[in-house]
Amino acid sequence: MSTRERRERSNESDRFLLSLFNVALEKAGKNNKGLAVAAVGGYGRGELSPGSDLDIVILHQGQFSQNALSEFVNNLLYPLWDSKSVDHSVRTRTETRDAAESDLKVALGLLDIRLIAGDADLVVSVQSDSLDSWRKHARNRLPELKKSLEQRHERAGELAYLLEPDVKEARGGLRDINALRAISVSGATTVPLERISWAESKLNDVRETLHQTSGRNKDRLLFQEQDAVALELGYVDADVLMSDVAQAARSVDYLLEFIWHQLDQKVKDGFGRFLRKPRTDIVAKNLNVSQKEIVINPLTDLQSDPMLGLRAAATAAQLGLPISLESYSLLSASLNEGKGLLPNPWPREAREHLISLIGAGESMVSIFEALDQEEIIFHWIPEWRALRSLPQRNALHRHTVDRHMVETAVHAASLTRKVHRPDLLLFAALFHDIGKGDVEDHSIRGERLIEPLARRIGFPSEDVEVIKTLVKHHLLLSATATRRDLDDPATIQSILAVIPDLTTLELLHALSIADGEATGSAGWSDWKATLVSDLVKRVKKAMSGSNVFAAQPEITPEQLKVAESGVLQVNLEQRENGYSIEIISPDKPGLLSLVAGVINTSRLDVRSARTKTHGASAVMKWIVTPEPHAPAVTAQNLRNEIEKAFNDASHIEDRLIARAQAYASIPSIPVPDPIVEIFNDGATDATIIEVRSHDRPGLLFRIGAGITQSKVDIRSAIVTTLGAEAIDTLYVTELTGGPLSDERANEVASRLLQLLK
Amino acid sequence: MKLITAILKPFKLEDVKNALQAHGVTGMTVSEASGFGRQKGHTEVYRGAEYTVDLVPKVRLEVLADDADAAAVVDVIVKAASTGSIGDGKVWTTPVDQVVRVRTGERGPDAI
Repeated sequence: MSTRERRERSNESDRFLLSLFNVALEKAGKNNKGLAVAAVGGYGRGELSPGSDLDIVILHQGQFSQNALSEFVNNLLYPLWDSKSVDHSVRTRTETRDAAESDLKVALGLLDIRLIAGDADLVVSVQSDSLDSWRKHARNRLPELKKSLEQRHERAGELAYLLEPDVKEARGGLRDINALRAISVSGATTVPLERISWAESKLNDVRETLHQTSGRNKDRLLFQEQDAVALELGYVDADVLMSDVAQAARSVDYLLEFIWHQLDQKVKDGFGRFLRKPRTDIVAKNLNVSQKEIVINPLTDLQSDPMLGLRAAATAAQLGLPISLESYSLLSASLNEGKGLLPNPWPREAREHLISLIGAGESMVSIFEALDQEEIIFHWIPEWRALRSLPQRNALHRHTVDRHMVETAVHAASLTRKVHRPDLLLFAALFHDIGKGDVEDHSIRGERLIEPLARRIGFPSEDVEVIKTLVKHHLLLSATATRRDLDDPATIQSILAVIPDLTTLELLHALSIADGEATGSAGWSDWKATLVSDLVKRVKKAMSGSNVFAAQPEITPEQLKVAESGVLQVNLEQRENGYSIEIISPDKPGLLSLVAGVINTSRLDVRSARTKTHGASAVMKWIVTPEPHAPAVTAQNLRNEIEKAFNDASHIEDRLIARAQAYASIPSIPVPDPIVEIFNDGATDATIIEVRSHDRPGLLFRIGAGITQSKVDIRSAIVTTLGAEAIDTLYVTELTGGPLSDERANEVASRLLQLLK
Repeated sequence: MKLITAILKPFKLEDVKNALQAHGVTGMTVSEASGFGRQKGHTEVYRGAEYTVDLVPKVRLEVLADDADAAAVVDVIVKAASTGSIGDGKVWTTPVDQVVRVRTGERGPDAI
């Protein structure tokens, strides 16, 4: 099973055809001037699997009468038909050119044309016609090729993820490799074909073995054939074989996707011929957008910025752009040299980038796939290697374990508004099946494996416990809802016994939905979703009393002293990757919004904030990170800006609008709509407004302004950013004190939703 | 021959399946269903808002049986599916004209 054997088989056919050609020539009484037999397609490349057709072209110059020509062809082919299946065409040079122009398949086959017997000059002319035409018309033919590939992928599915895939037709299969070769020949862009040479020989070996063991020329790797093929190729079992097939297909698909992206860019830039220097925009520290790709500043030393890789991945995913191939190479080279490795545990910024990446939805899939293909992810999460292309022979599943978890994360990203800890949901979704690949129950093994990972990524202990619970019990709700009597109090008790609080229950519910949706229709349906929701409702009822919203912050005695003095005080403390800012100020309407506006226009990004009013003063604590190239901040100039804003805030609004417009030119991905929830909290005599939204510049300013317009007082605010998601909890009262009425609360909620649209 | 159709609470499916197998029934069709009977869904109060669950998820089970065995099969299902509370479901039988096993072409009781 090797390239050599396929070549040998091809040579053997060549010899046979040559002898037949000579016999036919003799019978026709002609010489070989202007007459030739040539191989095209895979046979043209000298690669023949046992069941492959012989694709040949018989070239002539019209020197025969119609009858004599068909007699010649019959003499040539009849003996062949007894032993081989032949796919042939009979054409002149002009006819060949016309056929190639009207039929993509013919054009592709001709790119590999090779003389078997007869007039070498004729074959060379046809070959140069084909190559010239292919190169000259690449602008039209490549989109045509792309379209035909898309149609074939639609029909044949993905080689890497199907349980019984077609190694030739499916996405990432041998036909895609041919397409890559054709793109390379066109000269439209450089195709690093060496990156898929392992994949090509692997897939060819599998196809050849399949033909041999099945005795047929079918390319679909059915369950019933997989064991025999695995055995023949020296694999331990079919799972290891299928894992290699998946790996090969993924590298092909990855390269193809990348090449299409490059070509799309070239087409937009007029094939790059008269291109001015491409425009670059800085989007984050050491990261630019250039030609619709995220590019790492090549001068950056990863050692001094180990977060750069994760930042690039998160930024690319959140903007819906790919990362340039050079940037991946830079990253992977640095990491392979041991430069830019992350400390244990990860710093907060690294964790937030990972969460932003996971939470980006659909656009995360290609970035994650690239991180896998470039072997970058294993430097961050070595645990991923054991899951890579791990097959699961389970009728419910359609994807390998790793892809299933990525799909689950995609579905989880659309459920982030339904939970109070989107970060824990996304993380658990991406790793919920980490325990698979062993005979032990994967939920129990998963609980054990997730703990060190979650700790290394830097989650605090209480979060690690929640993550462990989620992984261990990710099947609990579906199993209970379908197999136990929901009317039986013991059923509800059995959930309460392992799910400690409402936050965890919400998370587990969202995880069950994401997991089910990612599994596909065999494992999840509206019917099942209804059952699970019903169970969750009943458990929630039994849990009533536990709060999920953030509690009000405490004020320290030192802060109290300053607050009582009624002066404006700003303290700034430099922290890793940012500042901690303490502001104590006389309270006034719109204070939160003003300060948020000042911070935002100082080009600082709010990660979290705690504010509380005390008497006539407000105490605020902000954790912020500066944007790339933000000017240095001092306590004094922040204080000046805030004082200036107290007198007149109109300039802040103008600057925020200008900034929002600047951001509008940067692409974005679809995100779930914001949610505003309102509760009345008897304990604090205030109304609690909780806003859950995708984070964006000026978010807090907008929320604060909306509240102020509604003429209500903000008693305290707790702002948390988790990856790319923000949760803002506001304790508000009427200006005269006391909680809002239901009508007023709804009015505030709808105003906020309007402002956040 | 009879077609026996049963609408059951989902969690009772396992019990009914086992009971039928013990009775000697070898084949059945199971599908997800939803609907309501006298149970009429239920009203719940959640975070102050009242909402009704109109359609309750159920399992639909279909078994073919010989005329002589049909009554016994119905009894087996009813016994295994009963919890005594509202919403346990229903079982009914319908006459069947003809049954053909696709693979062999066998007809009538032989095809069951």
